[in-house]
Amino acid sequence: MAENSGTDPSVDANVDKNAAQDGTMIVVTVKTPKDKEEIVISEDSSVAQFKQEISKRFKATQEQLVLIFAGKILKDGDTLNQHGIKDGLTVHLVIKTAHKSTAGSASPTTSSGAATPQASSSSRTSPAAASSTGGGAGVTPAQPANILSGLGDLSALSGLGMGSSNFMELQQQMQRQLMSNPEMLSQIMENPLVQNMMSNPDLMRQMFVGNPQMQQLMERNPEISHMLNNPELMRQTMELARNPAMMQEMMRNQDRALSNLESIPGGYNALRRMYTDIQEPMFSAAREQFGNNPFSALGSNADSSGAQPSRTENREPLPNPWGPPATSASENRATGTSTSSTSTGGTAPNLSNPLGINAMGLGNGVFSSPGMQSLMQQLTENPQLMQNIMSAPYMRSAVQSMAQNPDLASQALLNNPLFAGNPQLQEQMRSQLPFFLQQMQNPEAQSVLTNPRAMQALMQIQQGLQTLQAEAPGLMPSMIPTGLPVVPPTTGGSVPQENPPASAPGSTPSQQQQQFMQQMLQMFVGGEPPSQTPEVRFHQQLDQLNAMGFINREANLQALIATGGDINAAIERLLGSQPS
Amino acid sequence: MAFCVKVPRSFRLLEELEEGQKGVGDGTVSWGLEDDDDMTLTRWNGMILGPPRTIYENRIYSLKVECGPKYPETPPFVRFVTKINLNGVHNSNGVVDTRAVGALAKWQNSYSIRMVLQELRRLMMCKENMKLPQPPEGQVYSN
Repeated sequence: MAENSGTDPSVDANVDKNAAQDGTMIVVTVKTPKDKEEIVISEDSSVAQFKQEISKRFKATQEQLVLIFAGKILKDGDTLNQHGIKDGLTVHLVIKTAHKSTAGSASPTTSSGAATPQASSSSRTSPAAASSTGGGAGVTPAQPANILSGLGDLSALSGLGMGSSNFMELQQQMQRQLMSNPEMLSQIMENPLVQNMMSNPDLMRQMFVGNPQMQQLMERNPEISHMLNNPELMRQTMELARNPAMMQEMMRNQDRALSNLESIPGGYNALRRMYTDIQEPMFSAAREQFGNNPFSALGSNADSSGAQPSRTENREPLPNPWGPPATSASENRATGTSTSSTSTGGTAPNLSNPLGINAMGLGNGVFSSPGMQSLMQQLTENPQLMQNIMSAPYMRSAVQSMAQNPDLASQALLNNPLFAGNPQLQEQMRSQLPFFLQQMQNPEAQSVLTNPRAMQALMQIQQGLQTLQAEAPGLMPSMIPTGLPVVPPTTGGSVPQENPPASAPGSTPSQQQQQFMQQMLQMFVGGEPPSQTPEVRFHQQLDQLNAMGFINREANLQALIATGGDINAAIERLLGSQPS
Repeated sequence: MAFCVKVPRSFRLLEELEEGQKGVGDGTVSWGLEDDDDMTLTRWNGMILGPPRTIYENRIYSLKVECGPKYPETPPFVRFVTKINLNGVHNSNGVVDTRAVGALAKWQNSYSIRMVLQELRRLMMCKENMKLPQPPEGQVYSN
C-alpha cells in the first residue's frame, strides 16, 4: 500500500487493519487560527468523513466546518486523495459561526446582529461567537462572565446601523460610542436594569469576582478584596459611577491632587508605590478589557464600572481635600473611608509620606472612620506632620478653593469628628468660616502653620486660655494673648509669634475670632486637658528671663510658648521684636 | 563564495508547495498547486481568510496565483477568484494590480507566494480597506 515516509500510525494501521475502512490511516493536522489538532483518518476517506471526525474533535457541526488545503476548499464530495492530503500534512480549518452563512444572503451579519440582542441569549452567543469566529477572529477576548456582552447587546439595538459584522465589534463600537458620547452613557446608567444591578452590591461583587483579571488583582492586592467585600462601599461606588459628572469632578480633583503631591519630597515615591501596587494592575486589567481608555470601562459597563471605582478609589487616597463639591462629600466620605483605611494602614507612621494620609485626613468628611481618627491623633501628636501638610503646595490651592467655596469648607470641617461633640463650636465655625478661610490664605498665616513649634505654641496658648477661662471668666477679654498669630491679618499687622501686649486692645474686636480659634485649637489638640498653664510650666524660664532683664512678662511668656520653653530662642524672639 | 545562491525555480516552488501542504504560517492563508500533476508548478491556488474586525471577517477568499517561468525573479501574477472590494484589485476581474501591492511592486526573489497572500491579507486590515462594502459572499469573478 502507499507507504508514507514510514510513520508509525500507518505501520500500525497496516498491522491492525481494524478500521471499517481499508487503507492506511494517516495523521493529518487540522489547524484553526486558534489551535490545532491531529486527526487520524483513513487515507481513502472522503472529505465528509474527515469532517465528521473533525466535528467530533472540535465540537462543531459538520456544516460549520470549512476545510482548506493547499489553497483549495475541500468539498464534502471529494476525497482526501484527490487533494493530495497525505500523512503529516496540515489542513486549515475554519469554523463558521452560527449567524454566518455562506449562502450569500444580502446582509447576513448585521441582520443577525439585530436578531441577537437579547440579554439572555447574548451571553450564550458571546462565547459561541468568540470561539467560533474562527475565520480569522483569533483575538476575541471571550469573557463569558462578562456582563458587558449583555449590555453590549442591549445597546446594539441602538447601534445597529453601524455595519459591524461581528458581535465583539458591536461591543467595541458601543464602547467607543460611549466614550465619545456621555449622554449615551447617562442613558445607559439610567436604564433601570443597570440601576438595579448597580444597587445590588452582591451582584456587583459577584461580577467583579467572576472576572479573572480581577481575581488576579485580588490575589495580589488583598486590599482590593477588602474593598469589594464592603457592601456599603460598593453601593457608594456604584452611586459614584452612576453620576458621570461627579466622577469627572472627582477625577479632576484627584489629578490635581496627584500632580501636586508629586512635588512633595517623598510623596512622589509613595505615590509611585501606590500606583504600582494597586493602580497599575487594575489599570491594565481594565484597559485590556475595555480598550485604552480608563473611562470607557467606567462608562460602558456596569460590571467594569465596579472595577473602575476600585481603581478610582485607589487614586482617592490623595484627593484634594478641599476640592470635591459639597454634594459629593458624602460619597467621597465613603469611598475615601475605605481607601483611607487601606492607605493609612499601609503608610500611616511614615513621615516621609505624610501627605498621602494627611491629605485624606484633612479632607472632606472622611473623618468618620477610626483610621482617620487615629490619623488625627497622630497629626496632633506630631507637629511635623502638620508642617508637612502645610508646606504642600497643594494645600494652598486647597485652601484657596475652600475660601472660594465656603459651603464646601463648612461641610468638610463640620464633618470633622473633632467638632462633633460641640455643636456650639460648629455654629461658631460656620459663622467664622469665611474669615477663617481668608486667614488661611494669608501666607503669613500659612508660614506660621508650617512652623511646628508655632503650632505647638498655638495649642499651648489655647490651653492657657482655656484654663484662664475656667478660672477667671471675667478676665478673658483683657487677657487674650495677642499672640494668636492667626488674628493679626485682620488687624492688618504682620504675624509675629507674639505681639507686644500693647496691641492687646487692638485685637479686642477680634475677640470672638480668638475664642473661636481657641476652641478650634482645643479641638485640634483633641481636648487634651490643660494640666498646666504655660505660665506654670515656663515659670522657671520666665524667672530666668526676668533675671536677664526681660521684664515684659507677657512678652516673655509668649516667646516661651512660641519656642516651647527654649530660653535662647525666646530671647532671640524678644530681641527681634523689640526694635519693631 | 556565493552571496545569494540563485535557487532554481522548481526547487523554490517545490519548497513552497511543501510549505503550503504543511501549513507553515499562522493558518490564515493557504496555498497549493492547482493541479498536482502540473510539472511546471505554474498554477497555484491561494486562500485568504478574512481578518477579524474587518469587513472581510469570516470570509474565505480564493485566489489564483501564476508563477511565471522567471519566478522567483519576477513576481507572480495574482488574481482573486472570489469577488472582493479591495484597493488594488480590479473590480471587474479580480486581478491584483502589481503596483498596488507593496510586495509585488518591490518584488525580491526571496519573497514567496505565502508572502504575497499575507500581504494581501494585511491590506485588508488597512484603514482604507477594512470597511469597504463587500459584495455578497460566495460570488466569483466570471472569467
